[in-house]
Amino acid sequence: MIGTLESARSAQRALLIAQRALLGIALLFMALHLAVYFVYAAHLIAFPFDYDQGEGFELNDTILLSQFQSPYRDNAVYPFYASNYPPLYHVILVPFAWLFGAEYWYGRLVSFVTTLITAAAIGYAVQRDTGQRIVALLSGCAFLASNYIYHIGPLFRQHISMIMLETLAVVVIAPLSQSARPRRLILLSLALLLAAGYTKQLAVATVAAVFIWLFLRGVRRAIAWAIPFAAIAGGLFLLIDWSTGGQWWLNIITANVNQYILGQYVGLLAQFVALHGALLLLAGLMLVYELYFDRLSVYSVWFVAAMLNTVLAGKWGAGDSYFATAIAAMCILAGIFAGRTLGNAWRLPRLLAGMQRAMPALSVAVCAAFVLYSAAVIKLPLDMPIFAQIAQLLGLQSNTKFPNFYDSAGWTMGYATLGQIPTAQDIANGWRIVEYAKADPRPILSEEAAFSFRSGKPVVTNPTQLLNLYNNNTAERTLYDPAALIAMIEARAFSAVILRREIGQTAIIGFYPPPVLAAIERAYTLHQAIPMNGYEYTVLLPSAERNLP
Amino acid sequence: MGTTDLVITKRMLGALLIALGALAFIGILLLDALRGTLGDFGPAQALALAGSLGLGLLGASLLPLGDRPA
Repeated sequence: MIGTLESARSAQRALLIAQRALLGIALLFMALHLAVYFVYAAHLIAFPFDYDQGEGFELNDTILLSQFQSPYRDNAVYPFYASNYPPLYHVILVPFAWLFGAEYWYGRLVSFVTTLITAAAIGYAVQRDTGQRIVALLSGCAFLASNYIYHIGPLFRQHISMIMLETLAVVVIAPLSQSARPRRLILLSLALLLAAGYTKQLAVATVAAVFIWLFLRGVRRAIAWAIPFAAIAGGLFLLIDWSTGGQWWLNIITANVNQYILGQYVGLLAQFVALHGALLLLAGLMLVYELYFDRLSVYSVWFVAAMLNTVLAGKWGAGDSYFATAIAAMCILAGIFAGRTLGNAWRLPRLLAGMQRAMPALSVAVCAAFVLYSAAVIKLPLDMPIFAQIAQLLGLQSNTKFPNFYDSAGWTMGYATLGQIPTAQDIANGWRIVEYAKADPRPILSEEAAFSFRSGKPVVTNPTQLLNLYNNNTAERTLYDPAALIAMIEARAFSAVILRREIGQTAIIGFYPPPVLAAIERAYTLHQAIPMNGYEYTVLLPSAERNLP
Repeated sequence: MGTTDLVITKRMLGALLIALGALAFIGILLLDALRGTLGDFGPAQALALAGSLGLGLLGASLLPLGDRPA
């Protein structure tokens, strides 16, 4: 009898030691992920050109708003530019533009800070629900550790600010039932949701999730709040559309209806599950528990809505960032599941009462899940002190197109090919491209706005926007007519054309609509191809045999 | 307002999910019929049909949970 008790105690002790050891390993991994993320962010913040195609156009939106000009313009009229995103992120950056002019660092810094706030909100939600500090810390870090968050975290893009606003909205409203001031919580949460929606349209799924959850908790109350919310959000939408003469609708709604590529979504979903599977499992278990044995929390409803919304990742031009909201929801649910398990705080129904005995083993399993997740999402620069040694220790070599970067995600269609740290050579090559842009007083036609900003020239065209609208042209309606742009190209009105292509490609490739690319080929000649950030930037100059205007 | 408000139960949620699944299933078939390609399902349509069936089954599994709040 004493022997049995003793062996049971030593088994429990062994499980406790295993649990602590696994938590320690997970914390070590998370510290590594944080270090990599901070180093990556610091380098990106200092990088003076577009790191991700499109960043410069968001900077241009900020500059236009800082000059009290609308970024929702007629694409058929010079400078053939319009934004395809709502304005809030750019409005927030306007004071920086007034103080520092057209610079990338402040947009990237703000984005980076929003990821830290999101991680803190995730940690706070887990801590509030479970009281488990280490699990809360791990849950917040798990968000930052994801390859997808790492990718977009420190970019001059609006997406990650939307994630912060969505997360705050959900975390604020979660304790509604226990609150003495429920109206205040709802009001704050809905204000954050409105802000999220006017940061990026994708937030609509989180708006739906919060209202569905409110509906489950009280039908009349949900409807009573939905009416003014829809009136304010819709009214604002109509007001902007009216003030821009319909360009708002055309550029942020119509231009975002792109071709759907099922293979892209399936590939990204498989990659997402492979990378985040360990925590997805915990989040899924939490969801099932709430669905059958407890009340659904707003986190569960949000997780389902965000997962459904990932379907949009199959759109042309979309990608891994479309999973970011689901990752935030997953981290909270997984954290709560782990926290309740480690704190032995489950209120199990009679049906599952036997599970109580398995709690010590389950605690080890949830700790192991965090370790597995931390190991699955590894990405490392291979040419920096300490990281290089760690990579060597782990036997990691470059598996990306960048010789000094390892990314456990590998690659699938739609997964952004970035994450590497720009080199001094990349920066020097960027300035070489700027020299071409500066060589002549005429404007340039560039797929990235940085070369226009750095050469003090106007930003002309937002190529993907033109392509999206052009692709949506039908016999009955013309959304974008490239005639004016083609006429300028044929008149050699641009001193240089700068396009981006994969290294090794030889054709003139770009994001412009096919007739625009054809006009470029007719009127401009490839002068030089300069590598930067893993791509080749082709500098085309006006064809010599033609007369210049 | 909160005390007299209608709270959705597990059974109601189950019924809602069944209705949504059925609506989606019929909608997909109807859309296919309107296009004149009924029965010739592509991978996306097949996935959507499976999803709507899954939604219905999930709803059915909630029905026995009765009047507990969802």
